[in-house]
Amino acid sequence: MQAQINSQVSSQIVVENLNHMYRPARGQPVLAVDNVSLEVRPREFLALLGPSGCGKSTLLYLMGGFLPVEKGRILIGGKPVTGPGPDRGVVFQHFALFPWKTVRANVLYGLERAGLPKNERLKRAQAYIDMVGLQGFEDSYPSQLSGGMRQRTAIARTLAIDPDILLMDEPFGALDAQTRSLMQSELLAIWRRSPKTVIFVTHDVQEACYLAERVAVMSARPGRIKAIVETKFDRSDPHLFKQPAFIDKVDEIWALVRNEAMLAQRLEAH
Amino acid sequence: MARWTASLFRYSPLLILAALWEAVAQLGLVARSALPPLSDVIKAWFALAVTSDFWFNAVDSLYRTFAGLALAVVVGAAIGIAMASSKPVRAVLNPIVEVFYPLPKSALIPVTALWLGFGDMSKILLIFLGCMLPVTLGAYNGARGSEQTLMWSARSLGASRWRMLMDVVFPSAVPEILNGVRTALATSFVLLVSSEMIAARSGLGFMIGFLGDGGNFDAMFAVVFTVAFMGFIADRLYQYAMQRTLQWR
Amino acid sequence: MAMSETLSYLRRGRGVRRHSWRYTVMAWLPLIVLLIAWELTTRSGLVTPFMLPPLSAVFGRIMEDAASGDLLTTIGTTLWRALMGFGISAVAGIALGILISQYKAVRWFFDPIISVGFPMPKIAFLPIMILWLGLFDVSKITMIAFNAIFPVVTATIAGIEGVEKQIIWSAQNLGAGRKRLMWDVLLPAALPQILTGLQVALPIALIVGILTEMAMGGYGVGATMQTASRMADSPGVFAGIIEIAIVGYVLVQAMAFIRRRLLMWHPEALDATAA
Repeated sequence: MQAQINSQVSSQIVVENLNHMYRPARGQPVLAVDNVSLEVRPREFLALLGPSGCGKSTLLYLMGGFLPVEKGRILIGGKPVTGPGPDRGVVFQHFALFPWKTVRANVLYGLERAGLPKNERLKRAQAYIDMVGLQGFEDSYPSQLSGGMRQRTAIARTLAIDPDILLMDEPFGALDAQTRSLMQSELLAIWRRSPKTVIFVTHDVQEACYLAERVAVMSARPGRIKAIVETKFDRSDPHLFKQPAFIDKVDEIWALVRNEAMLAQRLEAH
Repeated sequence: MARWTASLFRYSPLLILAALWEAVAQLGLVARSALPPLSDVIKAWFALAVTSDFWFNAVDSLYRTFAGLALAVVVGAAIGIAMASSKPVRAVLNPIVEVFYPLPKSALIPVTALWLGFGDMSKILLIFLGCMLPVTLGAYNGARGSEQTLMWSARSLGASRWRMLMDVVFPSAVPEILNGVRTALATSFVLLVSSEMIAARSGLGFMIGFLGDGGNFDAMFAVVFTVAFMGFIADRLYQYAMQRTLQWR
Repeated sequence: MAMSETLSYLRRGRGVRRHSWRYTVMAWLPLIVLLIAWELTTRSGLVTPFMLPPLSAVFGRIMEDAASGDLLTTIGTTLWRALMGFGISAVAGIALGILISQYKAVRWFFDPIISVGFPMPKIAFLPIMILWLGLFDVSKITMIAFNAIFPVVTATIAGIEGVEKQIIWSAQNLGAGRKRLMWDVLLPAALPQILTGLQVALPIALIVGILTEMAMGGYGVGATMQTASRMADSPGVFAGIIEIAIVGYVLVQAMAFIRRRLLMWHPEALDATAA
């Protein structure tokens, strides 16, 4: 009992015995998240890894407050989640930018809602646009940008409101391989400069190993946490991907995921 | 049973409106000539339904709609496919279609009356002209969307130009043609009713005007609602048939 | 649905015209030939001038009307009624669409009314409208709005409901409340579809406007044509057709222009400038 209270104090995000039923418009409800418990420390980079359809995105949306918590609970800084809020910034796989707003207007939007004075807003927006390397594209519309640039805009928009927690839902999943690896190292650089708690959903084992300090491996539907693996490496090492320790870790996690991926495929076929 | 109550719940606002109508009219909140009670309108409908006059007019109206519509569908689809598959045809018809398309088709009522008088033919021509373009555009867009690879493979299998039109281009244009026909169906009822009200000596639209002029408002309301529901039912039947036709997709 | 396909077809046509004036003349040549054929046919005596008056006579009539000022009042009257009715249907239709998309009770009440009312030939209610509101502008404009509102409402609902859930979540996450979400996110995101609804509604407004004028009189192109038809004045009838065709063409093009202006951010607009 004592240990649990202690852990709540030191953990920024606490998920306890969380269940979630997914209710499609037609057909039977499906158990998407099954009795998940998880603790995330402040400024930790945690990856949620699992096969497609395992409920890892659902778990993230529940933390974001977009879906109602029905069974179990989620505490952020000791308080239960009741809805979305600017303390948790979210980056979606398909960017979810406002296509009718320019890059600058997209980044400004959260700052306007926060009620910052105009000068401050513009200065801050520009700083984040510069940070993600989009100077010169401030007045472009999202439809004029490449996928990578759109995701940079989305990241700048989210970072600009300076959330304590960053929830990322397969943010690089829609990008091509080169852009993806570029964005990965940039995300790490940003994280190093201003450390935030990051929850990063992915189905890419190597990406999870490379970015995160801990990887939570989820099982196929219904989603449970199958294992939590420490993955602390020296990320500044340019040859990290060739280090035996790293390769072993990827293999270890891959072995955990493989079964689930096959199971997920069979579930999809049905 | 559950389905039955669900659709009752769904359509209950219409029943509420009907009840409201009856109540307002019965309580004398509005003049009887402005809104006869619904029950009287229903009585008037049954009184009309035993007269042969009503049915002759209804048959006239339906004949005009479907004759005009059938012509519009056949000619419209042929023109649309021709435009899509032949460059010269497209070059000739494109500007004509583009100018004719935004013309409010109701403006053709006096012209068709001028040409063909107050009988069936003027209505059929009006509906044909008014309903052709949506079908043409549907056929044109659908035929243009037919897959190039499909055409190539048909060509390589030795299909003639005509066979290819019938076997590849036309079937792939069917869904969009059917969409165009739905627009045309709605337009045809509007043109039918209005032309019968304005320039005709028979048909349900004519009956509406005739009954109204004679001050027989119960019966006028009955015919107005008959025509309105005919349009609604035609659309529902068409949608049902379209879903059946497109099941292969 | 069908209309948006139409519009894409018309857009393609415009892309062609951007080339050069010589190309423009070539593209319009069939129409010019058709008009010349009209004139020649009538002069050859193949048809009576009653069935088809010479184009020159029709143009002469339009010029006469223009000189006397009748043309301006006739077209002005029709336009005023059609655009008033259209404007009312636009404002009320978008407002109703918003309410239906946001409140279950409103949806419950209006859903069957719209799904039954949309495919009905509402023009049949014209005599009832006359009974209630008389023969003048109020009943005409009401009739126009009543006919034009349906596509606006359904397009607004479909547009708002089609907004990607994650865009809504993003806005909520960035601190948008319910009201801000509507103005800042749902309406702008639904704008392409709302505009399509308006583009369907505008021709309906014109069609119904002319019909009400034909049925009830009271100036306007419809009434003028109807009078001409009764008096067997065929140049008058054809003059009306040409006038209203031009009005319709200009209005449809103007709507397409407004659409391009409002949707500068949309891939559809960016493609058009690239082509």
